[in-house]
Amino acid sequence: MKPFPQPGAVTLLVTIVITCVLLFLFQKMSWLVLPVLVALMAYYCLRPIVDALVVRGWSHGTAAKCVWLVFQLLTIALLLAAVLLLAAKGGTWQSNLDRYLAGGQNLLKQTAGSLERFVPRFQRMKLATLVDQRAQEFTGRFVEKNLVPIAMLMLKWLPSLLLVPYLTYFMLSDSARLKKYLIKSVPNAFFEKALLLFSRLDASLQNYFQGLLLLTLLDAVSLSLGLAFLGIGNAIWLGLATAVLAWIPYLGSAAGCVVVVLVAATDFPEKPWMAYACLILFLIVRLLDDYVYLPLTVGRKLHVHPLLSVLMLFLGGMAAGATGLVLALPLFGVVAVIGETVSQIVTDSRLRARYRAARHLAVSGGWT
Amino acid sequence: MKFFGGNDPNDPASRKIATLKEIPIFQPLSRNEILEVDELLHERIYEKDEIIFEEGDAGHGIFIILSGKVRVKSRCKLLDAVAPEFGPGELLGELTLFEEAPRVATAVAVERTVTVALFQAEFSALLTKNKSIGVKVLFEISKIMGRRMRRLLLQEADLPSV
Repeated sequence: MKPFPQPGAVTLLVTIVITCVLLFLFQKMSWLVLPVLVALMAYYCLRPIVDALVVRGWSHGTAAKCVWLVFQLLTIALLLAAVLLLAAKGGTWQSNLDRYLAGGQNLLKQTAGSLERFVPRFQRMKLATLVDQRAQEFTGRFVEKNLVPIAMLMLKWLPSLLLVPYLTYFMLSDSARLKKYLIKSVPNAFFEKALLLFSRLDASLQNYFQGLLLLTLLDAVSLSLGLAFLGIGNAIWLGLATAVLAWIPYLGSAAGCVVVVLVAATDFPEKPWMAYACLILFLIVRLLDDYVYLPLTVGRKLHVHPLLSVLMLFLGGMAAGATGLVLALPLFGVVAVIGETVSQIVTDSRLRARYRAARHLAVSGGWT
Repeated sequence: MKFFGGNDPNDPASRKIATLKEIPIFQPLSRNEILEVDELLHERIYEKDEIIFEEGDAGHGIFIILSGKVRVKSRCKLLDAVAPEFGPGELLGELTLFEEAPRVATAVAVERTVTVALFQAEFSALLTKNKSIGVKVLFEISKIMGRRMRRLLLQEADLPSV
C-alpha cells in the first residue's frame, strides 16, 4: 500500500480539533470506550493467529472460535491465579504496602539528610525534618485516602470489562461482515474511497496496537534485564508491570518509576544508591523508549511528527485527563486518516458531481 | 447475518451462489470457496447512465457485472474501438487489481446494472490467506487479460497506418 498522503494545514487543524472533541466525549462514556479499546487491542493481536490458521487451511469461523476460546481460557487461568495469590497473601498486603511506603519515606529522609550535608541552606531549613514530616503525613493517610477509592473504582469497571470477551469474539468472527454492512450504506460515487479509508484505518489501528505491544515487550525486557543486573527481586514482574503502566504516557511512566524506586529503597534500606541506580535505569529506558523503541515500533507506522505527538498528548491530557493521554495518539491517527479521505472527497469536484448525478438518476428512475 | 444460507436452490443465497458460479473467474471455485470469496465482494447497484468509474480516477479494484450492461469510453481510441459494452459475467478495471493506477477508461451503466466489486487490498489478503482460491481466481483473470490484450493487438493490426 502506498504511504498515507500528508494532510494540509486546514485538514490538520480540523483533525486536531475533532480529536480533542472526541476525547472529551469519550471521557464521558469511558465505561464503553475502555472495553472497546481493550477488545481492539486483543483483536489486532489475535488476528494474525487467526490468519495464520486460515493460511493452514482452517475456515475463518473455526479459526476465530478456537483462537478466542484459547485466549479466554488463558485469561481465566491468569485471573484465577491472581485471585488465588491475593487470597493466599490477603493478610500481608496491608503490611507490605506499609513496608514499601516506609522504605520510600526512609529513602526521602536519607536523601534530604545528604542534601543538608552538602548545602548549608537546606540545613538551615531543616530539610530532612520537613521532608520526614510531610512523608509521614502522606503515608499515614495513604491507605484510607487512596486504597478504598481504588478498590471501588476497580469494582465499578468490572461490569464494563466483562464486555471485552464478547466484543473480541465478534470482532474476530464478524469484522469482514460488519465492514461490508457499513460499506453498503456508502453512495456509489464514494464507494472506492470508502473502501480505501477502511483499509487504511485497519492498517493504522493494526500498526498502532501491534507496535504498542512490541514496545511494551522491549520496555519490559530492558527494565527486567536492568533490574536483574542490579539485583532487585522479582525483576521480570516489576519490568512487565512498569512497561504496561507506560501505556499511559508520562503519568504511567512516573508511577512505574515510583514503584521500582520504592521496591529498591525497601529491599535495600542500607544502600540508597540502589534506588538511585533504579532511577537512572528508568531514565535510560525512557530515553531508549522515546528515541529508539518508539520510532522503531509505533511512531514509524503511524506517520505522526514527534512535535505533533507531544502536542496531541498535551491537548489530550487537557481535554480528557488520563483517558486523553492514552487515546490521544491512536485517535489522532484514526481521525487523520478519515480527515484526509473526507478532504479528498470534498475537494474532488468530479466525485461530488457524480454523486449529485447519481442521486438525480435514482430519483428520476423512481418516478418512471 | 450470512449472505448465503442453506441448500434450498430457491433461497436468495443459493440463487446468488449460482449467479456467482456463472461468472468465469469464479467457475473453478467450489461452493465453500465461493462462500469465502463472497465475504470479500461488495455488491453495488448502478442506475441507467450512472458512472461506475471515470477515466483518471485512482482505481482500487475490479467490478464484476452480475446483471445489466456497461458501456466503456476512453480517450484511447484503440480501447474505445474494441471494448464498447460489457454484460453479465464480465469484469471491468482489472488493471487496478494489481497496481493502484489511474483508470484508463470511463464505465457507464447502460441500464440498471448490478455489480460486485473486489477491492485490491482484500484480493491481496486472499492471495496470502487462501492461496488455493487466490491462484484459481488469478489464473482466470490472467486468461481474460490475455484475451483482451490479443483483441487489442489484432485491432491495432487492422487499423490503417497513419
